[in-house]
Amino acid sequence: MPRIIVYTLLILGLLLLLPPVIAANARSRPNPNRPINIIQDMDLQAKFLPQTENDLFADKRSQRPAVLGTVARGEAYLDAHLNDGVVDGQWATTLPSQFTLDAKLLLRGQERFNIYCTPCHGYTGVGNGTVNQRAMELVANAEGPVNGTVWVAAKSLHDPTVTIQPVGQIFNSITHGVRNMAGYGSQVPTEDRWAIVAYVRALQLSQNASLSDVPSDKRGGL
Amino acid sequence: MSRFLFPRWTNNLLPFILVTGAIMPLYAVLVVAYGFSPKTIDAGYMPTQPVPYSHATHVGKLGLDCRYCHTTVERTSFAAVPPTQTCMNCHTQIHRESPKLAEVRSSYETGLPIEWVKVHKLPDYSYFNHAAHVNRGVSCVECHGRVDQMEVVYRHSPLAMGWCLECHRDPIDRLRPVSQITNLAWDQRIEMTREEREALATQYHINPSENCSTCHR
Repeated sequence: MPRIIVYTLLILGLLLLLPPVIAANARSRPNPNRPINIIQDMDLQAKFLPQTENDLFADKRSQRPAVLGTVARGEAYLDAHLNDGVVDGQWATTLPSQFTLDAKLLLRGQERFNIYCTPCHGYTGVGNGTVNQRAMELVANAEGPVNGTVWVAAKSLHDPTVTIQPVGQIFNSITHGVRNMAGYGSQVPTEDRWAIVAYVRALQLSQNASLSDVPSDKRGGL
Repeated sequence: MSRFLFPRWTNNLLPFILVTGAIMPLYAVLVVAYGFSPKTIDAGYMPTQPVPYSHATHVGKLGLDCRYCHTTVERTSFAAVPPTQTCMNCHTQIHRESPKLAEVRSSYETGLPIEWVKVHKLPDYSYFNHAAHVNRGVSCVECHGRVDQMEVVYRHSPLAMGWCLECHRDPIDRLRPVSQITNLAWDQRIEMTREEREALATQYHINPSENCSTCHR
């Protein structure tokens, strides 16, 4: 058999290994060259899904921001107590009538507090959250604050200036922010913000509790 | 005119040709099945984002909950990418002059959205509902992988129909208590017995449909 034929066959055989090797390489690690969409079917339809682009508008948002001065159905904030934490022009001192103070509300509040508030205020509310700690590190950097970081330590929720606040005022701080804290009105729905308020009150109680506050049948567990 | 005769050595090629002819169709099928499977052409998509946001830093190190940013995931079908305001909750103060955040600051000033590149894109004819899954014990990690360890987010799963059906046909191993839903390091296959997971399936009324119209409508 002539050499050339043998070599050609060998090379062809090796070339057959190439496609599986390329595929195996592609599978082995993430990279930007995908997805490879060979058969398009109706993968891309002429419709707008949430947070997609619409070139008709200058800002390219397919979801249009509300027109200034308009109110969407169901979003008219007519209940001052519920939506603003205000009763008769004063901060509300009670939960709105829509809520019952029970374990369910407090557990919901705890869950939401742990998501949205603990990064700065910490799980107990003393202000030692991970973001707060990181910010303190950046500010305390030997060569000056990193990337111009400025930071005022997160407020302890057990500070007397906070514990004396009526629930309406706490609700307002969560909704619109206070000093350096941003408002969470757009991130946390109204009901959850009130649940958080209830939980903050529970946290404050927990830090100033005496043995007599513990139900007698639970004292053995302490 | 002399006739062309195949030289004698070509006889040696005959078994080779027969074997190759028998194997080649199998080879072609295997290469296509492997090379064009969704695991090869869809999973692993890691586009470059306009801002080098690191989930490993924010979620893994700082411990932010998924829902701190993706606030709509429990209420709507869509787990929204957060508005620039969410970034600026902290970054008006922390790293406020970082060059990496230039795009975020300009978005905040102009009001124009940051053009994040979508990583988990489903075909437009399939309707996945995040709320239906995360409120009934299917954790983020089941589809998105360990995002808390990703410097740059990539598509962990193929998101192909066969892959969806794997779980719809046998959901028990993927179920966990809703309280652990965003705890990506937690694994119900280790922390719970199968009986406990089966009890969850009853509690959450898990009865996933394989009907076409469940996802295609």
